[in-house]
Amino acid sequence: MRQQRRVTVTSPQTRLALAGRRSGAPAAPPHLAPADAERARRIHRRQLRYALTVLAMLAALLLGLPLLLAAVPALDTVRLAGIPVSWLAVAVLPYPLLVLLARWQLRRAERTERPEPGGSQVSR
Amino acid sequence: MILAIVPVLLITLLIGARGVAAMRTTSDFLVASRRISPTVNAAAVSGEYLSAASFLGIAGLVVKDGIGSLWYAVGFAAGYVAMLTLVAAPMRRTGALTVPDFAEARLGSPGLRKLSAVVVLVIGYLYLVPQFTAAGQVLGVVSGSPYWVGVVIAGAAVSITLALGGMRAATYVQAFQFVLKLALFIVPAIWLVLQVGPDTRRDALTPVEFSRFDAVTRVQFQLDTELTVTEPTRVTTADGERELAPGEYAVEGGQTWVFPAGADVPRVGAAGPPGGPDWARPLLDPGGHPVLATWSVLVATVLGTMGLPHILIRFHTSPDGRGARRTAAITVGMLGVFYLFPAVYGLLGAVLLPELYLSGGTDTVVVALPARVDGSWVGTMFTALLTAGAFAAFLATSLGLLLAVSGALSHDLVPSTLRRLRFTPLVAALGVVLLALPAARVDVGVLVTSAFAVAASTFCPLLVLGIWWRRLTAHGAIVGMVTGLIASAGVIGVDLFLGAPPGLAAIVLGQPALWSVPLAFATMVLVSLRGRPPAWASAAMLRLHLDESEPRPR
Repeated sequence: MRQQRRVTVTSPQTRLALAGRRSGAPAAPPHLAPADAERARRIHRRQLRYALTVLAMLAALLLGLPLLLAAVPALDTVRLAGIPVSWLAVAVLPYPLLVLLARWQLRRAERTERPEPGGSQVSR
Repeated sequence: MILAIVPVLLITLLIGARGVAAMRTTSDFLVASRRISPTVNAAAVSGEYLSAASFLGIAGLVVKDGIGSLWYAVGFAAGYVAMLTLVAAPMRRTGALTVPDFAEARLGSPGLRKLSAVVVLVIGYLYLVPQFTAAGQVLGVVSGSPYWVGVVIAGAAVSITLALGGMRAATYVQAFQFVLKLALFIVPAIWLVLQVGPDTRRDALTPVEFSRFDAVTRVQFQLDTELTVTEPTRVTTADGERELAPGEYAVEGGQTWVFPAGADVPRVGAAGPPGGPDWARPLLDPGGHPVLATWSVLVATVLGTMGLPHILIRFHTSPDGRGARRTAAITVGMLGVFYLFPAVYGLLGAVLLPELYLSGGTDTVVVALPARVDGSWVGTMFTALLTAGAFAAFLATSLGLLLAVSGALSHDLVPSTLRRLRFTPLVAALGVVLLALPAARVDVGVLVTSAFAVAASTFCPLLVLGIWWRRLTAHGAIVGMVTGLIASAGVIGVDLFLGAPPGLAAIVLGQPALWSVPLAFATMVLVSLRGRPPAWASAAMLRLHLDESEPRPR
């Protein structure tokens, strides 16, 4: 464990590379205090679950929409304000859905990282 | 028209030159001191990301291949949802600047670092060459200069900017260029829609197959083209009028043929002409398997985004993991706005400039439209604005990519000093120019998607498994990445140089992501399961999920 100090914003790996010490293993193998490791395990498990649900929804949207358009060619002839619905489904529809998905996932991921709801988190 | 590009270049160089004063260390050069808000950083990410493929390529593909090409744009934007979910925050927390850095930080393997650097070069060049190709074509269309002049000017502008300012410059240049590109893309699009009149608007939404020339049409062939004439046609060429009997004709690049009104439109290649029933289907369909082809492009673009070296390095200008994640989320919205508009250019282009399908210049449809709609100075002005935007798009992406490529060259493949790093971009740019000169014929959007496919098959499994799975071993990562590289880049190379076979094989070879990504993931997992990760591997993974604001041992 190294002590806290002011450092340049270079990554350890970059400094390693620049110093020409291109040895095999990282200079100091990563190490976590037991309490941190426990907390990290909890966060990791929950983030993974959230990530998998969001990816499943993304896949359902992006793989499902082409399937739907292929299965229902009638959508080409239905028109909304003169534009075929199937064109709107590619050109417009995905973007607001993607924004909603991104917002939802951002909220959940940030909430997971907070140790206690309303805890004394310093926001930067 | 060259005048339109000069201001873009000057501002880029100016912002680039101002950056020199503040640049002290290699780390300054690479990541601009990391004091940038998520919104500014998201603008810079979007600015870097919106390349000539987005600005010109998608609209061009819509004219050429149909409405289904809009899936490229959907995939380009959706990639940031995957980035936000899987990679942004943990990747930032590694402190690694690039994927090679990440590979060494997480798995402690110098061999993997070198392999990653090689993959950066492959992706970088696959992405850079079409950018330079597009720049050369656009300059050719607006100024009549030969293709190679445009390519050389482009290479000079990019490498000088980089050598002068590095990434500090690039961050501000990118954020500025995003705003510029957005304005230069949206305003002309709205003007075009209002200017063309209700009849053209209706025609654009009810496509009719481009089988007869409505009016006397000049077709300027950019490249050597094979035409198939199906009924006797009189054309006027440089040698005077001649009657074409049905059959095959080879046209040399640079010639101009004039077709009379009412003449039958010759065929080019296997693809149908714009406006046909296949063209109007909202799916990509190169070989009779529309769903598979569309999925393959989506898998490549969505999963490839997180492996793009020039985008990843941009997330390190966020102060922490949380900032990086917010940057990715805001980027989804910014790109979503931009990608509403390629459809406008594509649909109008298919109605007003369908002859681009003959001349092989569909990638220039965006800059060619204003002059077609309005012959007066107003049209000329909008052409100038769009040319400036296209050049900004080219410049922005090329800057970031060249930085990533030169970083990989001088950081990872050869030990370096700052001085060397400043001149590596010049060498890297020279290489791109030399490769772009013979590549005039490739579709910008398609080759860029190949770069995405390679990224999705190599870096995506490395990053995703490295961040989320503690049992990944260096050996598994190496075997998986080599497999992914061969399955994607190797197969695309075969497809490019030997020509695409018909049917299902066209998708399997031309867009391999649908099978190469699962293959790379499976290889990485299986080989890792046979080995044992080092004792510190679990800590190396878990610390990526801890918020930096908590006190923790470093």
